Amino acid sequence: MTSLVCQSLDVSIAGKNICGNLDLELEPGQFWGLLGPNGIGKTTLLKCMAGLSAPDSGTVLLENQVIDKLPRRAIARLLGMLQQHTVYVFDASVLETAMTGRHPHLSYWEREGPQDKQKALDAIREVDLEGFEARSVTRLSGGEARRLAFASLMVQEPAILLLDEPTNHLDMKHQIRIMNQVENKVAKEQRCAIVALHDVNLAARYCSHILMLFGDGDWQAGPVNELLNPENLERLYQCPVETLQSSAGRRFLPGS
Amino acid sequence: MIPTTLRRSLLFLLMVMSVGSIFFASASGSVSLGWSEWLAAIRDSGSQHGELIWRLRLPRAMAAWVVGSMLAMSGCLMQVLLRNPLADPYVLGVSGGAAFATLLGMVFGIAVAFLPWLAMLGALISILLVFGLARGTGPWSGTRLLLTGVVTASGWAALISLILSLSPDNSLRGMLFWLMGDLSYVTLPAWSLAVLAGSFVLTLGLARSLNVLAMGETTARLLGESTRHMLWMVYLLASLLTATAVSIAGSIGFVGLIVPHLMRLLVGSDHRILIPAATLFGGLFLVLSDTLARTVLSPQQLPVGVITALLGVPLFLLLLNRARLKGV
Repeated sequence: MTSLVCQSLDVSIAGKNICGNLDLELEPGQFWGLLGPNGIGKTTLLKCMAGLSAPDSGTVLLENQVIDKLPRRAIARLLGMLQQHTVYVFDASVLETAMTGRHPHLSYWEREGPQDKQKALDAIREVDLEGFEARSVTRLSGGEARRLAFASLMVQEPAILLLDEPTNHLDMKHQIRIMNQVENKVAKEQRCAIVALHDVNLAARYCSHILMLFGDGDWQAGPVNELLNPENLERLYQCPVETLQSSAGRRFLPGS
Repeated sequence: MIPTTLRRSLLFLLMVMSVGSIFFASASGSVSLGWSEWLAAIRDSGSQHGELIWRLRLPRAMAAWVVGSMLAMSGCLMQVLLRNPLADPYVLGVSGGAAFATLLGMVFGIAVAFLPWLAMLGALISILLVFGLARGTGPWSGTRLLLTGVVTASGWAALISLILSLSPDNSLRGMLFWLMGDLSYVTLPAWSLAVLAGSFVLTLGLARSLNVLAMGETTARLLGESTRHMLWMVYLLASLLTATAVSIAGSIGFVGLIVPHLMRLLVGSDHRILIPAATLFGGLFLVLSDTLARTVLSPQQLPVGVITALLGVPLFLLLLNRARLKGV
């Protein structure tokens, strides 16, 4: 089973400390929520976990190997990331774009086979883009492009999913649909996910663990029911938080 | 876009049309040959018409095909490299360096046979200059490459203007023809065929990676490409193709911009089909343009660059407009 481990990780951007001495183990079956205010460095931290940028110190281990030492292709077979922004410049079709998720799994001259195509079609259906297969990606709406990017990631089938605000641009139905899919991957297929979110209630509903970034390198990580409380949220977002008790558990509102 | 199942047939059609266009080019010109005359001339290379075809027209048509396909392939690569559908083979200054060196050679009266080598030298200097300045040590930056290239290109343009303004009137015509792109005195060196074939195989091998690269550098890395190496390779490949094409025929415009675009409208953006389609159509397009350049005001010959622009611009606008209407 593939795991992602951060060992005494120091990450900073433009002289600003994002996390100091971060020790974290993402294990199969865990659904992590990454919470923190705007500009605190969630994206930078995720990029560092994906091996896209180097930490100031410490190491990221993917399947017990230092991630910088692994070739990108090997990483891409184990770890996938949904970036915060999706911009398509060239007008490839929706199906072709979903199929790019197979890229790391195919050898140099190999073409996508019927199985690869089936995976892409399934993923497209799962994100509710059925019927759009032949459409050009440059003609998709913001939310549709977002769902397509997520579908590509599902086609890539990584054991470790890093998702940078997967629900932005999405309506309520599709937010739930996508989060349900991630939950399925985590619970049924023993993958692990870390999801940067601004919606605390999505985190409350789906996540098993939470990583909070407070700024100045301060962080806290642990099971969701230990961390997700009004005190921590008020400290995190610097705004009063009200708690509601719903049938599904605790939910949070900005207080006054 | 045409249906996926027809795309292979399109490649076959383009191949047949390429061969056909070369034969057609060899039959047309100031002395136009009918079907039977042409057949007789092909069989007897010693005859007057045979000489015309085998020594002049066929080599020229072949050269046009090779140059056209190189420019089209280079255009496809540059557009991915800069992630900009408006990029063309000349945007990063390769042709500027070649033009400056060639014009300088003309000023100093260097023999025509050596001019292609000078052009190649100028292009290589420009490639290395841009490569060296844009490389830096940090991560890949498409913007830095684009700016370095564009500014270098304008530097060359200034030097070219300087030469043009200082040159005597009687040499200006030759210079302008070179700058517009001209196939009149063309010779096709054997190594250029090797460059074309080698780059074609290499590019086709990279085609799936190019698809991923077109989605952005970070996306490509996340999908398993080591993009830094890959992008520099694409840059060098595109530049080498441009340099070779320009050293043979001068800076023929529009082929490298319009052909990749037209083919994108027709077959889509999958480089596994786009690259061969653009390569074939680029060759075909330039052979026909050059035939037109030789015949339209015959016996006077026009620089082929004028024709590619005059043909390419309306054709492109028309297709773009039709694509919009259909909502592709």
